[in-house]
Amino acid sequence: MIRAFQQRAEQNISGFQSPADDYLEGRLNISDVLVIDPESTFYFQMDSQAMQAHGLRSGDILVIDRSLKPVRNAIVIAFVNGCFYCRRYDIVNNKPALTGDEDQIETTDGQVLQVWGVVTSICRNTLPNSLRKGKYRRVCTL
Amino acid sequence: MFALCDCNNFYASAERMFRPELNGLPILVLSNNDGCVISRSEEAKECGIKMGAPEFLVRDLIKKHNIQVFSSNYVLYGDMSCRVMENLRRWFPMLDVYSIDEAFGWLGGVKNLESYVPRIRESVILNSGIPVSIGVAPTKTLAKLANRLAKKGTGTLILDTPEKISAAVKDYPVKDLWGVGRQYAKKFQESGINTVSQLREMPELWFRQHMTIQGQRMWNELWGRPSIPIDNSNNSKKGISVSRSFRNYIEDPDILSEAVTMYADRLGEKLRKEKLNCLYLQVFLFTNMHRDDHPQHYPSHTHKLPIATNNIHDLVRIATRVSRMLFKPGIKYRKAGVIATGLIPETELQLNMFKQFDGGKDNISKAIDQINSAYGRGTIRMASEGYEKSWRLKHEFLSKGYTTRWSDIIKVK
Repeated sequence: MIRAFQQRAEQNISGFQSPADDYLEGRLNISDVLVIDPESTFYFQMDSQAMQAHGLRSGDILVIDRSLKPVRNAIVIAFVNGCFYCRRYDIVNNKPALTGDEDQIETTDGQVLQVWGVVTSICRNTLPNSLRKGKYRRVCTL
Repeated sequence: MFALCDCNNFYASAERMFRPELNGLPILVLSNNDGCVISRSEEAKECGIKMGAPEFLVRDLIKKHNIQVFSSNYVLYGDMSCRVMENLRRWFPMLDVYSIDEAFGWLGGVKNLESYVPRIRESVILNSGIPVSIGVAPTKTLAKLANRLAKKGTGTLILDTPEKISAAVKDYPVKDLWGVGRQYAKKFQESGINTVSQLREMPELWFRQHMTIQGQRMWNELWGRPSIPIDNSNNSKKGISVSRSFRNYIEDPDILSEAVTMYADRLGEKLRKEKLNCLYLQVFLFTNMHRDDHPQHYPSHTHKLPIATNNIHDLVRIATRVSRMLFKPGIKYRKAGVIATGLIPETELQLNMFKQFDGGKDNISKAIDQINSAYGRGTIRMASEGYEKSWRLKHEFLSKGYTTRWSDIIKVK
């Protein structure tokens, strides 16, 4: 939304002016597609298996945007009964509810389901353990 | 029209955002070194916790009402403030960030304020998670007043007619007016002025006589004539300072020197970030003024540097030398600070006849900044900062860097 800036990859050239100089576009940056609005984006981490069938694994980094209003089937972060949950937002009996692979979380009487933000994407480390060494240890795992 | 946007109980709200289980419960935030109360949730206010109260005086209340206590987590508040301000910037043609939790916005040309202003508020609250209140009026002084009234009401208040302004100032206590300090409040009270309405009715000449040019401005502002413009310039910095209280009293010049090393280091980092050099470096020490039984000592010395600088070596060398000079044995020091003044942009460096520019030290500082920004502050630091750091701030109830550290992000089920 706001980030329409382009970084030019400036190179210091001592000899001939590079013919590519006028054609530099700036390298792709993954946060351009992961983070739509940086001012309302937060990061949480999945720490349960409850959403495996929905494609979320334990250890995934969740990109959360607070500015979105939850709709049915959106994956959301909600605070229920003293705990943060990541679940699918659902409407059951005209009441908002959270659905996981095998569970359903509803608020106890009188309480409003507090949606903290909508999960817009996930980041996952796909490296096998044997490659998670040195600087690669930190690829999306914390 | 001007708007003042102010975060409600900012520090407490920022803490609660990541601990929703504390919604509706009393919480408070302590100043650096866990000294005094600097932010309270509404519930804590109702428990009788006073702003600025020393922690040891409210310990009983904390226990009695089971109040959740936080040390100040400025890393978190800084980031949350930034989010609030950037969100506000989208709504105002001009925004003047006045402090960590408030900003003046200019609403020139905006029609339908009645619908526009609540939309600003809702959007900021949704996106940043921090509750804000917005007061709108023809002048900054009245906008500030409107904001305070908005906090008690629906969160927004627009004073766009003389009638609404008159109603708002009618019972507004003069001591809560922007620009009225303790001195003026006392003066006004002695003259029988208690409300802003009464103050406003005084003749213009009276303001000028009692409050000089500042009074003249205030009078104009109270009658809806803008006299304090929006300050969009960000480069009016006259000085940059770093000062902290110590965890315990310092009575040893070597330990004092360690602390001053770290403050000078931080100061250099700030200067380099702003691309400024300083020509004067001031060092000051404080004892605890609340302890009548301790000998008091508030020394301070300003050192003129031969050439304006911002490199860590020169700043630390001079700051520690001055601190040793100021130190008196047998005194319990509570706080120290370093202040850089005579700020000159890096590009306008002036050398003198006898000094040669030493780019090497600047390059070292630059390298240190780069390493520390990649691997975290303090990865490389001056050895004279010491290892024990017994003087370091006390923050027993520090929350996490939820938005600034990967290792601290919230885990969800």
